[in-house]
Amino acid sequence: MIDVLTPLALAETVDLLTSPSDITGVLIEGLAKGSLYLMIAVGLTLIFGLMDVINFAHGAFTMYGAYIAGVAVLALGVGSMGFVGALGTFFIIMIAVFVLLAVLGVIFEVTLIRKLYEYPPIFMILLTFGITITMEELMRMIVEFRDINSGQWDIGWDAPRQSSLPSELGGTTEIGFVNFTGLQLMQISMGVAVLAGIWAFLNKTRYGLFVRAGVEDEEMARALGIDINRTFTAVFAVGSGLAGMAGVMLMWDPLWDVNVPLALAVLLPAFVIVIVGGLGSFKGTVVASFLVGLIDALGTWAFQTGVIQFTDIDQLMIFAILVVMLILRPRGLFGVKGQGDHG
Amino acid sequence: MTFLELEGVNTYYGESHILQGVDLHVDEGEVVALLGRNGVGKTTTIRSIMQLTPPSEGTIRFQGEELVGKDTYEVADAGIGWIPEERRMFGRLSVEENLRASVPDTSKMDESLEFAYDTFPILRERTDQRAGDLSGGQQQMLAIARGLIGQNDLLLVDEPSEGLAPQIVANVGEALLEASDSVSILLVEQKLGLALDLADRYYVMDHGEIIDQGDTAGVTAEDEQLRRYLSA
Repeated sequence: MIDVLTPLALAETVDLLTSPSDITGVLIEGLAKGSLYLMIAVGLTLIFGLMDVINFAHGAFTMYGAYIAGVAVLALGVGSMGFVGALGTFFIIMIAVFVLLAVLGVIFEVTLIRKLYEYPPIFMILLTFGITITMEELMRMIVEFRDINSGQWDIGWDAPRQSSLPSELGGTTEIGFVNFTGLQLMQISMGVAVLAGIWAFLNKTRYGLFVRAGVEDEEMARALGIDINRTFTAVFAVGSGLAGMAGVMLMWDPLWDVNVPLALAVLLPAFVIVIVGGLGSFKGTVVASFLVGLIDALGTWAFQTGVIQFTDIDQLMIFAILVVMLILRPRGLFGVKGQGDHG
Repeated sequence: MTFLELEGVNTYYGESHILQGVDLHVDEGEVVALLGRNGVGKTTTIRSIMQLTPPSEGTIRFQGEELVGKDTYEVADAGIGWIPEERRMFGRLSVEENLRASVPDTSKMDESLEFAYDTFPILRERTDQRAGDLSGGQQQMLAIARGLIGQNDLLLVDEPSEGLAPQIVANVGEALLEASDSVSILLVEQKLGLALDLADRYYVMDHGEIIDQGDTAGVTAEDEQLRRYLSA
């Protein structure tokens, strides 16, 4: 049952809703979450836009990235390092995860996904769904055999993993009525860096031009001599790598649980973003990532402050956006006719 | 020298047998018109050559090389350009980006762009405009420019005058005539006058088969036999 009746008085709620520090807090958390969502959703939207592949395995890459990074920071003793050492190690782990999962993405694309391009979409959905279940169960076996989540190795999981976060990133900085943590700043910075990198790749490189051409009209792009299969492999690799990077970024964040269901937990909002932004639209994905990030942060805030007492209010609000968008504008904010056009 | 040669080409869309043993050839430097009513298989012939709708039987050789079984991008790499009926612009890309995507050799990018803009000066004025925002005539010019700068030896041109005003059709015809100095062309065209003006030879298709062929010399758009072939 949805228990949304608030114990707070109306005046108290209005005070909270108009508090500058709460508003900026929600905005900053929204940007941080939006940055994570962007890293996950951008690969999903490019993969769909280029080859009409709805990749249900995408969330599993984020879950793998989070696990690999979490185990790595504990195994390498990042918690006992100085700030610079910890940060440097963290970024090395992030690059390694990106490369590892990009390679895994290439293997999946070349050996499995490519075989089904000519088949109806349901085949691809079943295949990627099968991949995600396999990846999840494989991780579940590793987690249980190694007892990662409950604390073998004397390293525990959630608490020690999160406590390995350098205090410089975990601590709150206050400037006027604006409060933010170093981790939020790092997540937003990474989001901006990914945004700039993908934008530059798509708009300033020849390969990016091929990707944009292929997203619009794959057949015509082939007829101009563009090897779309190779382009797709590259996009699949980058998308998988970025999804893994998002996992690394959220591994230290106390708002996220690093467990096997994380694959689904990140996949659903990512699908909402892709649909709300417009299937295959990079600009739409950017806008929708931050929109969903803000709504998510608003829902979390509403629950944490007691305005609404329903644990999944953030999820409910995210899916409400999806429903409204599908009714009012089925092709999404920046979608083009023929792609995701239900009307 | 035979540039492009189709022998016994059979192509299906699902259960529908569209091309039923098509034989035709295009020689080096030739412009060949493929004539016929709507729905007789002209566009499918072009799509089969490009391997967009690969044939089930028959051979398609270009400069002696078998194309059947190749990927479409390999056909394009072999030197065959496609100017499709619906123009198929990348509508969200700018005019210049559409052109840039068509030039295989980046070392020739500047001269290729300059050639395209010299051929169709209106495109120079629209260089940063989204291709999707161009008029139908401008889009056709861009489609042809894309084919011309693709460093192709053969152009497959599908209905270039479709939906265009007479003045634009004349411009398009001039551009293709100029292009024919340097490339061979297989032209699908409903406007008989334009097709005969441009082509050295013609084939007539009906129900997926070649039913007539000949030289265009001395043949006019008033030719009764041809008009009968093309009438619905």
